[in-house]
Amino acid sequence: MARIARVARREMRRVVKKPRYLILLTLGIILTFTFFATMMREGQPQRLPVAVVDMDGSYLSRRLCHEINATQGVEVVAVYDNHTAARLAMQRGEIFAFYEIPKGTYNDVLQFRSPHFGLYSNPAYLLAGTLSYKQLATMGMLAAGAVQREVLRKKGYNEEQIMGLIMPVEFDTHLVGNPWASYQVYLMTTLVPAVIAFIALLQTLYLMGREWEERTVRSLMKKAGGNAFVALAGKLLPYTVHFTLLLLVAELIMFGPMHFPMAGNWPLMMLACLLLVPAAQCAGVFIAGCIQDPPLATGIGAVYGALCFSLSGFSFPIEAMPNVFNGLSWLYPIRHFYRTYCDVAIFGNGLEHCWPHICALLGFGVLGMVGAAMFARHYRQWERRPA
Amino acid sequence: MKLILQDIWEVFTAELRRVFSNRMTLLVFFVATVIYPLAFCAIYNTEYMHNLPVAVVDESRCEASKRFVHKLDALPEVDVHFRCNNMAEAEQLMRDHRVHAIFYLPADYGTRLADMRTARIGVFCDMSSFYYYKNAVVGGSNLLIDEMHTIELERYAMAGIDGEQASNLVQPVVYDDVKLYNPAGGFGSFFIPALLMLVLHQTLFFGITIMAGEANESRRALHLIPPRLRSRSIHRVTAGRALCFILLYIPISCFVLWLVPRWFSLPQLGSPLTLAAFLLPFILAVTFFGMTFGNFFVHEKMSGVLCGLFFSVLLFFLSGVVWPQSNMPRFWLAFSYLFPSTPGIQGFVRISSTGAALHEVRGEYLALWVQAGVYFITACQSLRFIKKYRKP
Repeated sequence: MARIARVARREMRRVVKKPRYLILLTLGIILTFTFFATMMREGQPQRLPVAVVDMDGSYLSRRLCHEINATQGVEVVAVYDNHTAARLAMQRGEIFAFYEIPKGTYNDVLQFRSPHFGLYSNPAYLLAGTLSYKQLATMGMLAAGAVQREVLRKKGYNEEQIMGLIMPVEFDTHLVGNPWASYQVYLMTTLVPAVIAFIALLQTLYLMGREWEERTVRSLMKKAGGNAFVALAGKLLPYTVHFTLLLLVAELIMFGPMHFPMAGNWPLMMLACLLLVPAAQCAGVFIAGCIQDPPLATGIGAVYGALCFSLSGFSFPIEAMPNVFNGLSWLYPIRHFYRTYCDVAIFGNGLEHCWPHICALLGFGVLGMVGAAMFARHYRQWERRPA
Repeated sequence: MKLILQDIWEVFTAELRRVFSNRMTLLVFFVATVIYPLAFCAIYNTEYMHNLPVAVVDESRCEASKRFVHKLDALPEVDVHFRCNNMAEAEQLMRDHRVHAIFYLPADYGTRLADMRTARIGVFCDMSSFYYYKNAVVGGSNLLIDEMHTIELERYAMAGIDGEQASNLVQPVVYDDVKLYNPAGGFGSFFIPALLMLVLHQTLFFGITIMAGEANESRRALHLIPPRLRSRSIHRVTAGRALCFILLYIPISCFVLWLVPRWFSLPQLGSPLTLAAFLLPFILAVTFFGMTFGNFFVHEKMSGVLCGLFFSVLLFFLSGVVWPQSNMPRFWLAFSYLFPSTPGIQGFVRISSTGAALHEVRGEYLALWVQAGVYFITACQSLRFIKKYRKP
């Protein structure tokens, strides 16, 4: 214990001497947090730009424009008189969807000839395209309902009968764990911890590489009494504390003042937070232990780490990916963190549900020990080699 | 003039030699640019999630509710894995992650329909991934509309309206839904084009910062400038080095932006000429941006990678393909245009996914040229800075 503290003190002196990287990384984490917290304040994008191609120029088409503008989700930014102009606007990225109202629509409606509207959208921008499509489709449904209501009124039905006729079934939707379908809640809860874990991983690789490159390994091992576990534990401990604190503060802000939903109990979430950074560092130690060439180890770590955002499975579900990635995802601490978050914050489940993932996070400790053993072996070889 | 070209040529060849004699840069330029695109394409190649497991609680058990459940099961988006007797059972399944949505048809579903009142269906959706939500709600809504039309037709028939009149009344306006681009709404087709451009941006940037860091580390900062040119124009050095990276990135871009999308059947609507014309200022801008950053700030070869790699996540979101630019706060929008990745990704996505011509991406194209110009000047200044302050 005392030796670990001694190595940790040595590491802190090293940081004080060259604080540049730790400051930069800390600023990076703060920037990431602020970025997601401020950019997606709306939760879901509001007033997405859409257009109307109005070839009819009638009372109906103009009224539809007004009604689209009255919704929160989309805003008509332009009215065109031909399809090509709207398509070009879409290619310029100015609009994400548009309605095309052909000539003679109003006449057709009046004469019950069911005119066809075109509803064009651009899911190449998946979020904006899908959302603006959904809004416009809803508006279309409502407009059709309005026409039906007019007709039924004239046929002498009362309001309740009319509602039963034009709205026979409806959904009562409950979104478990994110009642506002907020994009911010969905992204930040996983992305911010993922960035912190990713940084911890890369920094571990960098730090271990620097010890070799600066030829300071011997002094490190001496301080640790020749024990590689002590050396690495002491070396990484200050950063573990630092990044874990940052992660905890981020979580406290998200689930506190930012009011992200939290159904379960805090201690379990805290446990996951406490385990995430050490697990990522252990993965780093393992890579650095296996690959003794520091730049190559960093490269491998970069490839492994960069996939963590995908393989956490929070955006595109793991079960929809090819099977091999299902297994690979177990190699990522953030995957287990995400699953624990789902259990605790979304469903309010206890340890009986998320224990496999907590165990997996603990299991990274074993990886770390293997890495440290390899590091020790490499050190012995290095010591023995002729000067 | 001849002398200028000769100088540029000399720097160019020296730089090429440096790239090919350095293991790290070779890894970044030729291995990372292969691994990343292939890995991401393999991950997202399935594009969609089919058959989301859902549970159904049918307390009504009438003809209409059974029809609804049948139709629900037939949807490509969802698959009815469990039929539960009560909500508690279904809830437990959701807690166990065995289903991701629950459709609840209450006991009065059938009677309400028979009474010609509005019947309700409860939908409970697991929000741990937006994909679950999308499948359950979008698939469910399409089914709901279909079911509504069926019931409406029945009701109109009872009210004495039938035939064409009834169907016209049910659908007084017909909506033809056309997805102009990425017609199936696939996740890969949306995500990967942006990612490929980001891979080009980041590998080029890291390659250059690694070279700058190494030059500084080995206390040969000036080895970026050939001895004969040390007293001469720094512009020639900068131009010569940029030429080297353009040449390197011709085959790399062909692979990343042309071959990979072809192999994985990603959208490729743009003409190759447009793309080539668009890539030129992009690569120049990234090169000069990397040089500026590398010469001013990077002191060790790996520090650029250490501090810059996590930034890829921010660059991706700053580019505005996920959260649209129209909804970004002004500050972040302005900030995003500091990086060539923003106009680069926007332009590339529109060229390759929507088939835009250069004219349609002129804003981005212009932005890239402006960035290339500004960063060229700063890159020259950074060299001057090195010459002045980091004597060998």
